[in-house]
Amino acid sequence: MAKDLVLEKLTKKFDKITAVRDMSLEVKEGEFVCFLGPSGCGKTTTLRMIAGFETPTSGNIYYDGKVINDIIPQKRNFGIVFQSYALFPHMTVEENVSFGLKMHKVPKQQITTRVDELLALVGLQDQKYKYPPELSGGQQQRVALIRSLATYPQILLLDEPLSALDAKIRVNLRAEIKKVQIELGITMIYVTHDQEEALSISDRVIVMNQGYIEQVNRPIEIYKNPRTKFVADFVGTSNFFEGTIQDNRVIDRNTGLEFVVSREALRSAQPQEGTVSLSIRPEKILLHKENGKVVSVQEKTNLKNGTIEVVTFLGVIVRSLIRIADKRIIVDITETDFEQHMVSMGDRVKLYFPPDEFLVFGAAEA
Amino acid sequence: MRDNETIAIKPVRTVLPDQAVAYLIVGVVAIFFVFFLLLPLVHILKTSFVTEGRATVGNYIEYFGKARIRRSLYNSFYVAGVTTAVTTIMAFIVAFALTRTTIRGKSFYKSVSSLPLMAPSVVQALALISLFGRNGLVTNWFGGKWDIYGPTGIIISEIFYCFPYALLILITTLSAVDTRLSEAAESLGAGPVKVFTRVTVPTARYGIFSAAALCFNLTITDFGNPIVIGGDYNVLATEIYTQVEGMQRFDLGATISVILLIPAVMAFMLNNYFTKRNYALISGAARPFLRPSSRSKRLLFSTATIIIIGAIIVIFWAILWTSIVDVWGGRAGESKQILKWLTTFSTRHYNFSHRGRSISVVWTSFWISIIVAFFGAWLTLIAGYVVEKRKPSGSQLLYLITVLPAAIPGLVLGLGYILAFVKVDWLYYKASIIILNIIVANFTLGMLSTMTNMKNIDKSIDEASTSLGADLPKSFFRVIFPLSRISFWNNILFFFERSMVTISAVIFLVSPKIQLASITIIHLIDDGFIESACAMSTIVVAIVVAVHIIFLAIFKKKGIKVM
Repeated sequence: MAKDLVLEKLTKKFDKITAVRDMSLEVKEGEFVCFLGPSGCGKTTTLRMIAGFETPTSGNIYYDGKVINDIIPQKRNFGIVFQSYALFPHMTVEENVSFGLKMHKVPKQQITTRVDELLALVGLQDQKYKYPPELSGGQQQRVALIRSLATYPQILLLDEPLSALDAKIRVNLRAEIKKVQIELGITMIYVTHDQEEALSISDRVIVMNQGYIEQVNRPIEIYKNPRTKFVADFVGTSNFFEGTIQDNRVIDRNTGLEFVVSREALRSAQPQEGTVSLSIRPEKILLHKENGKVVSVQEKTNLKNGTIEVVTFLGVIVRSLIRIADKRIIVDITETDFEQHMVSMGDRVKLYFPPDEFLVFGAAEA
Repeated sequence: MRDNETIAIKPVRTVLPDQAVAYLIVGVVAIFFVFFLLLPLVHILKTSFVTEGRATVGNYIEYFGKARIRRSLYNSFYVAGVTTAVTTIMAFIVAFALTRTTIRGKSFYKSVSSLPLMAPSVVQALALISLFGRNGLVTNWFGGKWDIYGPTGIIISEIFYCFPYALLILITTLSAVDTRLSEAAESLGAGPVKVFTRVTVPTARYGIFSAAALCFNLTITDFGNPIVIGGDYNVLATEIYTQVEGMQRFDLGATISVILLIPAVMAFMLNNYFTKRNYALISGAARPFLRPSSRSKRLLFSTATIIIIGAIIVIFWAILWTSIVDVWGGRAGESKQILKWLTTFSTRHYNFSHRGRSISVVWTSFWISIIVAFFGAWLTLIAGYVVEKRKPSGSQLLYLITVLPAAIPGLVLGLGYILAFVKVDWLYYKASIIILNIIVANFTLGMLSTMTNMKNIDKSIDEASTSLGADLPKSFFRVIFPLSRISFWNNILFFFERSMVTISAVIFLVSPKIQLASITIIHLIDDGFIESACAMSTIVVAIVVAVHIIFLAIFKKKGIKVM
């Protein structure tokens, strides 16, 4: 039987606050999953329950088919990497990494071999006898990583391990973590509030909000087909309209703008009438200047007039804030397109909203 | 590519889960405190309500009935009140000088001000007797006819006894409260006096109240000074002693103890309250650069500080000098030839056997202090770790119990031990009862120091250790203890020092078999051997100071900062 981790109707209450509500989830052996969500959504609490530092109020945690709720942390052999690294400041790198092996009574010679092997894995052979305060943030995190891997843990739990590091180091380190995971084939459960991080390294993303799971899926699905308004808003950027739906037309409550949406955008479980949220990604909106390039228009209704208020250069893309009626829309175009269009502040433009790029969320999914 | 099978990872074997170990430790400490704190207190209460075997409030009626005994309550309040007022003002002046002016020699003043903490609380009275007593240095010089015995002597002694404590609180207060407030007031046109009365004092008010409450508590519970210099003037502390030792009236002694408990505990709780408020008022912002003070300001505060700190130096000088001078006050007819008898030296006062005592009491105090230091430091470390880091349910209650000893006057606790353990062979009049008493009496500060240290150790370090397979004992010894070394050794020093100098707690617990140096000092004074009393005081202070210096040297060598 594969060594899967199964969470069954897990709930955790702290006095009056319910941090995790009725969570059920299956993590397959060798999978890399991310718990993604804002502060207070319950992702760290869930991780700590898996680790054994919190006891579930109700529900079960299964590993390898057995209930592990009551097994103390020392006996679960799940590795943990903390946000603060939690390296022992009075021990050298070598002593830190070998700590777990000593606790498990591994013979000295084998410890030495294993430690050298791990140091080589992350390129820290030269730091073997240094103390944690002497290392940089990135080096400390790598020590924390191999320390947790030393005893061949079944699962590795990582609690926002990179949030304290500079952007560039973060990008490098998460690639290293992913590389290690693939090489060792170890199950990894990663907690983060950085959606870019979650999307770039996980096999599956679990988006959480206020103790609930909003969506579980592969990164690309999460991005392209968010199941709820929260996911659409939290992952990536979206423009939102609130309004009423009639057939396949949505009228925005605030501006009175009307949009035609395609059948795919409506999706299966949609009410044909009632209040809905409408969202569209900035990169899906097509832009053309007055008297400029023509863009293929299927639905004349979805062609709107607007004025450019702000233009921001973000490196790969150019982000414009455009006012239509009384609302600011975010539109992203590539740098090359920008050169061609040559738009600037104050220009009047036409925006085209392709009907099949919309996502419609019913009131229940808000 | 998995190669798990290269190393055999044996599963971790734990005897008991961590939660159980935590509960066990809390349980043991709780039982310890039930027996050695709560039980004695219960006995005090019980005994106070019993006269000749019957439960009654007779003792209380007797206390308030007999005028002489009743006066002790009034006297205690009078002495404590005056001391509090004077000491708070003095401490404020010096604290202000040390934190808000740019006078020179600050570190010197700070060091000297903590000297009284390293001496038995009897040296103040002793010094007063040496200087102003019937055969005192100053008395002989001026041909004075005053009588230092009585309330005046007590008050002056207590002022210098409480001073270091009050100073410490006020230094913390004044250095942490934002100095920019004063500067803002100045920029708005306020003169120095207005700034002082409208800004400086009000913002420091909680520190002032806290220091005052502490002074009151310390004075009203002090035994050493009043018994030596009080003469006929009885305060609650000396009255308890008189009733118990002198008249064998344990019941009345217990009654007076209960009466003493009330103002003592109230003052303690007030101090607690104000300390919390004080910390809330303190801003975490770094202290801005101190503007150089004007010449007149420097002169004013330097003078005041030199006088006050100088007085402390004089106290210790008097003790030392009295012990090495052949005849203090000169031989017959020589009393006016001060310079002559002041420079005629002799070591005969250090021969205690000629005074019916033995120098072995110093050795007894020493080894008892070492045991107290060792067990006190370990107990507070383990208890502090479990309460702060592992937090099993019930640890909140335990924390409260461990704070209790600080509220109980040492005298009362000592009496309680006698009443509670009279039939317990291995305790009664043995070293063990003394050791236990001193550990319990001083537990609070040690515990607080440990818990502060534990708060600074990140929770995730403990959890990392656990996740790597370490049970509670292993986590404690391999990870937590190495990171708590500083607070541990500070506690060793603290318990050692308290044990060497304590008087009130142990006055009832000593016996012909187990005598302590601090108590012997009092007996020597009782017998009239002032010079020998000074000699023994000098030895005790010398030992404590030496240990301090050794610790400082070792820590400096290891590059560790001592608190």
